[in-house]
Amino acid sequence: MGQLVGCVTVELDDLEERITELRGEIRLAKAGGDDAKVRRLRAELRKAERAWDDALEPDFEPDDVPLLPIREQVHQALTLLGVPSATKMIVAVNEAFFAGRVTTTQLTSLRRDEEKSFRSSPYARPYYLCPALTAELLSPARGLLAISTWPMDVRIIGPLSPRTGFLTSAIRVAEHITRLTGAGGDASTEAYRLLTRMARNIPGATEGFGRADPARVISAADAELVVHLESDRRHRREAAERATARLNEVTRLFGAGLKTASRSAS
Amino acid sequence: MSTPNHRLDALRGDAAPVDHNARTIAALAGNPGCDRRAVLDAAGIHKQNTAVHLGHPAPFGQSPFALARARSFEELVKADGCAHLLRLLRDTLGLSIPEVAYTDIADVGGNAAHQLRHTHTRAELRRAAEDDERSCTLFDHPLLKLPVAGHEVYLEPAVIAFQIGGRFHIVEIKSFAIIDETADSAQVAAASRLSALYVYALKALFEAEGIDPDRVSHEVVLVCPKDFANHPTATLLDVRQQLASLRRQLSRLTGIDRILDRLPPDLSFTLDQSPAELARAIRTVEARYAPECLSSCEMAYFCRADARACGSLDALGRTTRDDLGGLESVDAVLDLVGGDLLASPEHAEILGQLRHVGAIYGEHTEAKAVAWAS
Amino acid sequence: MGIVTSYARALAVREGRAQPIATVRHLHLSARPMVFIPLKLAGEAAAPLGAMVGTDPADPRLLVVPQPRNRDLRFAFMAELAQIMLPYIEGFATATETVTGRNERERYLDAPQILVPGGRAIEFVRLLGRSTRFRRTDGPYPVDPSVPVLGQWLTFLYERTEFAGSSALVPVTEALALHWATGQSPLEDANLATLLAWISPPPGLTGQEAAAAAENPLDWPPAGPDTDPGFDAQVLQHAIRAYDASGSPALVRQALRTQLEPTWRLMWQAVDQLRGLPEAASVAERWAFDRDQYTREVARLADGGPPRGRRDQAGPAAIRLWDMEAAQQTYDAQRAYDDPLVMTEHRATGKAFTGEAVHVDADRRILLPGGKKPVPRPLVTVRTGDPVRLTPGKKVFSVHRRKQSAEIVEIDGDIVVVQLNDQLAKGAGVPTAGDAVCFTELDLGGRIRPGFPTGEETPWTHGGPPAAYVPTDEDAVEAWS
Repeated sequence: MGQLVGCVTVELDDLEERITELRGEIRLAKAGGDDAKVRRLRAELRKAERAWDDALEPDFEPDDVPLLPIREQVHQALTLLGVPSATKMIVAVNEAFFAGRVTTTQLTSLRRDEEKSFRSSPYARPYYLCPALTAELLSPARGLLAISTWPMDVRIIGPLSPRTGFLTSAIRVAEHITRLTGAGGDASTEAYRLLTRMARNIPGATEGFGRADPARVISAADAELVVHLESDRRHRREAAERATARLNEVTRLFGAGLKTASRSAS
Repeated sequence: MSTPNHRLDALRGDAAPVDHNARTIAALAGNPGCDRRAVLDAAGIHKQNTAVHLGHPAPFGQSPFALARARSFEELVKADGCAHLLRLLRDTLGLSIPEVAYTDIADVGGNAAHQLRHTHTRAELRRAAEDDERSCTLFDHPLLKLPVAGHEVYLEPAVIAFQIGGRFHIVEIKSFAIIDETADSAQVAAASRLSALYVYALKALFEAEGIDPDRVSHEVVLVCPKDFANHPTATLLDVRQQLASLRRQLSRLTGIDRILDRLPPDLSFTLDQSPAELARAIRTVEARYAPECLSSCEMAYFCRADARACGSLDALGRTTRDDLGGLESVDAVLDLVGGDLLASPEHAEILGQLRHVGAIYGEHTEAKAVAWAS
Repeated sequence: MGIVTSYARALAVREGRAQPIATVRHLHLSARPMVFIPLKLAGEAAAPLGAMVGTDPADPRLLVVPQPRNRDLRFAFMAELAQIMLPYIEGFATATETVTGRNERERYLDAPQILVPGGRAIEFVRLLGRSTRFRRTDGPYPVDPSVPVLGQWLTFLYERTEFAGSSALVPVTEALALHWATGQSPLEDANLATLLAWISPPPGLTGQEAAAAAENPLDWPPAGPDTDPGFDAQVLQHAIRAYDASGSPALVRQALRTQLEPTWRLMWQAVDQLRGLPEAASVAERWAFDRDQYTREVARLADGGPPRGRRDQAGPAAIRLWDMEAAQQTYDAQRAYDDPLVMTEHRATGKAFTGEAVHVDADRRILLPGGKKPVPRPLVTVRTGDPVRLTPGKKVFSVHRRKQSAEIVEIDGDIVVVQLNDQLAKGAGVPTAGDAVCFTELDLGGRIRPGFPTGEETPWTHGGPPAAYVPTDEDAVEAWS
């Protein structure tokens, strides 16, 4: 199957190149008023387009096999980011730095499996992927994933944490790009695209419409982070103390939602 | 004597009431003179089912592509701790750098019950309004409540933004594009009507909490994609005018008992009647049909059929109606012109004009009419 | 609109079919128009979904974007559209005529005419033009060379529609509604299927019945660019998924064909309907202006003219506005002069009157203020049945002698006395007793545009002299997602 798909792709690429070429030639010939040539080229173009249509007929699916199991890919991305993150961000980082292909749907089911696994045999795995917890009610924060081995206060989301988390992620992404380039390599286009996208929402982090500069992003994000960091930490530490005091080993990881509470009660 | 709410429940029978939502209430303001719509909505009648039973279904629906697009754009604006939104609010409202605190009220500890979310919203907003020190800036998924004709309606604006020392702003996120700084005026108008409703509900909440309602801004932050890219941009919309028309319409709905008093006591709109019986019942409440209803009311095709059946000029649109000087029907116009009908004094002027029009129109079309007939 | 159209609408209801509100055709209709029916993906600003296009009713070309969210496929669509449209548009740049006079110039003998279903399609043409005219054929996101050229032409065509009386890009529903009044509302007239149902209902059906049947989106899909939400949910979504899975556009093609073919037939039916009317007298003059504009655009593009900016600058905007208003005034007047049925609207409102010249004082001479010699100023006394709402001293024009100006001297009941002021060349210029005459205040216009400040002279109140719009890199690589 992989072999066949490869052939088709090559064939398609060639055909597309040919089609583009022919279109250009037709325009040139038309500009030159060479009607006979235009007609001949048109016929060729139609033939190429038909062949392209035909080549597309067979089914083909991406055949790349992920290098790591999904939960490990997620772990890798979260470790890079260093803060509880939304699935979209995890997917983007995974794509930008690890050439992975995780989908958001896969992540949703992953979270359920983790909790089930922990409940059946606690701490059987070296780490679990768990939700971040809200500072106010210590319930699971919607859509944010964290790693169980992180300190409690890192896994807490206070009112300022969405912003500090974003700024921290931007810094971590920029630092990782710097690491890659410093080591003589370079980061992928996707990595720079991700950084630029994030930088556009940080005051002073970009100039013009070009690709963002990692050093500039780091200093701009740092400058804003300083403003929020102290009170964000205070909030999270205070909540972490409450969590350690009040929650059991399951809810400490997966949150004290009303649902979890009623389930553990039964 | 039964209360309006009992009367309305009786009209609906055993069927569960349809929840109002922001869109249905905003649509009410579109045709404030229609008693039929006011009664059906107040009674929580399922208009779509009613129209189907009457044999006049309205082809309403939203494309799954449009829905998906709206959802994904809202997600984008709120992604990364509302990173885009903060950039835009810093630009449009001048938020300071420390103003980033975020509270999500989509659920309370995993429980998404409306009443709980609403109570939580009230508490959060109250805290923000009273205590500048630890106040929050962004309230995501807030849930407001508004009594409409005796029923509680929950309303969910996209975001409420609060400036320290300043005012509360409704933020509305829409996925229609603003291209070269202009947008489709119909879409902007619809967004303004909807936002006005949120502003209204928020002011009502403040009033109930004893907070100055003027702390709710009548300027709404509208967030849309810029040009052809997905990049969000924001503009301020002044919704005072929409607010005024909404206030008027909602007060009319509160006065629904006046309409109810005129209706027969045993009236019912239940679907266990034959379509003919139901149609008769519905017709006891007067409608004010206009072609604009076709895009905003599920009953429109039924009302249009009625309007056409009696030759009402309403079916031909407002301009035509106005041009024909307040006459009611096609027959009235043509019979006056043909001399088969005597004009009442208030129609004397339009009569003269119409007879003249009839005569000169005939001069230039008769030859053609003959040609067509042959 | 107006009282005559409204009266005709009432009449249409009673007669069961649309009623004429014009006796001649007030737009140019090309011998070889191109019909273009674009569709867009719901919820997106300007994501083309497909189109049916062509000049031969029997041979429509169907173009589709099997995954409308894919930017490359969108540009491939635009390139394919360019393959069809550009040869048509550029193909008229052949034989020319020389226009003599103050501004001697060459002008192509014919020009392209593109017909679309309605106003929403016109807006979509604008957006397609806007989203493609700045693209570059090199650099980070290169497109086929034909794409920006098509973008420039679509922009040109759209901008012609802002001038009343242009026939370069025509919304067919509006063209039909200009000539027939239906028994439905103007809002419903925007639906091509119901509009045509009223104009030519099938035998045995009234317009009302035919229109009701034509409202079923299963038989008569919307003429676009918006598709039927039911179609999106039940057919299109599945077809696009099938493309994503298999790479074959066959299902999407098939689905869009079902949505476009009925409209394609209606469009040509509308063309036939309009062809049935004889062309109005002033249409050739207005079409000549369209040809002038086309000639200029061909030359401008051949010189490598840059794409039009995103926004107008103050100076050109003021000139455009003046030109648009002048075009509207001329167009309104010409239609009334060309068509007695259109004139009835103005007669009904007292801006025009017709009648019989009951007395003519052809030899009257008066001494003008400051004049030395009496000059001829004939008086025509007209008996009219029209409710004249003009006042003495009002400048009016004779419909039968278009260049002649006159003024109202006196109105007394059904008698109007008019003084003729110029074009009095013996005999031809003055009616004789017993002639049918028609005078109106409608002015054909045609005046020279007053001097507007040039770009450098733009007053500071309007932002001062503007920098010329230079398309930027940002324009060229702007996302189209």
